[in-house]
Amino acid sequence: MEIFGVLVPTKEKIVSTLTDVATGKGGLPLYISIFGMLIGFAAIASIFIQGHGHTINTSNNIPWGLQITTYIYFVLISTGCTFVNFFGYVFFPQQYKPFASRVIFLGIMTAAAAFFSLATEMGRIDRMYNFLLSPNPKSPMFWMSVWYTAYFVMIVLEYINIQTNKHSNKVMWGAFFVAVITHSTLGSLLGAVSSRAYYYSALLPIYFLFIAFLTGCALTAIVAALTVKQLKLDANFHLEPFFKFLKIGLGLAFLLGFWRSAIGLAGHVDGSEVFSLTLMNNIVFGLGIAVVVPYVMLTLSRNASWLAFTGLFIMVTQLKTRNDLVVGGFKVPLFRVYDMPETITYMPSMHEFLVLVASVSLVSVLYILCEKAGLFEIANSKEAH
Amino acid sequence: MEQFDDKDILDIMHEDLQRALKKERKDRRWAMAIDLKKCIGCHACTTGCMSENLTPPDIHYRPVKEEEIGEYPNTSMRFLPRPCMQCDAPTCTPVCPVTATYKRDDGIVTIDYKKCIGCRYCLVACPYAARSADVGHYYTGDFREKTYEVENSGEYGKTFKRKSHWHSPVGNARKCHFCIHRVEKGELTRCTTTCLGHATFFGDINDPKALITKLISKGNVIKYKEDLGTKPMVYYIT
Repeated sequence: MEIFGVLVPTKEKIVSTLTDVATGKGGLPLYISIFGMLIGFAAIASIFIQGHGHTINTSNNIPWGLQITTYIYFVLISTGCTFVNFFGYVFFPQQYKPFASRVIFLGIMTAAAAFFSLATEMGRIDRMYNFLLSPNPKSPMFWMSVWYTAYFVMIVLEYINIQTNKHSNKVMWGAFFVAVITHSTLGSLLGAVSSRAYYYSALLPIYFLFIAFLTGCALTAIVAALTVKQLKLDANFHLEPFFKFLKIGLGLAFLLGFWRSAIGLAGHVDGSEVFSLTLMNNIVFGLGIAVVVPYVMLTLSRNASWLAFTGLFIMVTQLKTRNDLVVGGFKVPLFRVYDMPETITYMPSMHEFLVLVASVSLVSVLYILCEKAGLFEIANSKEAH
Repeated sequence: MEQFDDKDILDIMHEDLQRALKKERKDRRWAMAIDLKKCIGCHACTTGCMSENLTPPDIHYRPVKEEEIGEYPNTSMRFLPRPCMQCDAPTCTPVCPVTATYKRDDGIVTIDYKKCIGCRYCLVACPYAARSADVGHYYTGDFREKTYEVENSGEYGKTFKRKSHWHSPVGNARKCHFCIHRVEKGELTRCTTTCLGHATFFGDINDPKALITKLISKGNVIKYKEDLGTKPMVYYIT
């Protein structure tokens, strides 16, 4: 199988794109992203050189912070891209087709960015080989690693099929089901923790899938809107699926977000007070600003730029919502000793913020470069011939 | 000296320990009992544990919780020491993706520092907050000048020196292990020997003659968060 000109841009295109970038013709978004990637990578290097003790603000009270948030955020976006690809092909094949290559490429890149962030969070990333040498089948985290690998293989296969114009329904369905299993397993990783009332719920695996759909739709809506403008496609026709997907995604997010809080409030187990402590934030931000506001925004205009802005709004608000979910699990201390406060607060360190910047920039740089090098038009042009 | 049947309780527990060590490991079942009426909140156990295991800042295998019980004006102060509960049904071991933490046949929940990947899932899962992540903090700042910080604590009977963040146990999860490195040499846990109020009891509860077995067979015994089904092996005498 040919790699250059099929899976990656042709050598000539790569050289000409890099030359453009070197001569200042890359465009502002690319240069901002490259800058973000550089400072992000410097921060990551600093984490590995200095160690977590000097760079990360997580603690025994808050074992997981912004790096895990970033991991979950990106991995759910990746799943969402797979879902959009699936539903796009099944329900809106004509409208969706120009974006298929881009969507699944973003699915791969966001999955890689997710792992990237996770790697900076692990205390001893160099011992990951123990997942093979001494696996624990009882652990949701072990199964997540197994399914994550399978998921990655499936979306790469799907990408190859799209790029070579040999799209296979079997692979597409396979990628969809593996995505459902993988990312509901990720939800179970938190949902199975009985000691944390904020996590412990059978709703969490489903919540993760719904949120994955929403955030995947948000990112792909931005890309679709930009592509429609760039290729001068009929916006009303091609963006219709994304308006629908986003509305459905927001509805599902509202449903699960509401019931998670409501059922949590009714609980009387150790640590249930966290649902009262987070109630205002969950209602005002989690449901109001992060769900209702973008839904209203979607009803105001059918414009491509407006869709891109709404998608961006959803992505930003959902990032905070993911952080609220991860950190919320530790808000109420399990064991109060000496002068421990009633509730635990957490502010990520600069290094943690820069890991997030690195992950965002990595996806952004690779996407923009491949877009400039014409990678996503290969499949379309082959079909035209 | 605290007496039990006219004998010093440390001597009794020491004899119990020697008797237990003559048995095969799988036939022992280590447990701890803490008499809450005797605990005076001096934190000698916390300090003793820190010096025994050379724990870094923010890592306490055995903190003492100070709590007010009752409702005003009928209130009193209570101290609740909290070692690892060495649960019979631990929530921390099943979640470990690489089996770095597991339950030994004598009941001790251990961590293999050479296997642990530092994912902190066990910290999240433990309902007693008995686990800590060693992220590489040092009391003295520049640890290279202070050899105390990088000495071998001898935990689990092995050699671990915290020379940098690439040297275990830095990067790992850590927890109380009932000073198993001392116990297997015939010494009582450090918290037992340093307890000023003689409130801490340690021994093999598979031995009906052991002091701890006699104490926990009385009715005034509770277990912390027992309702979670973790079957903790630390008994609180009230």
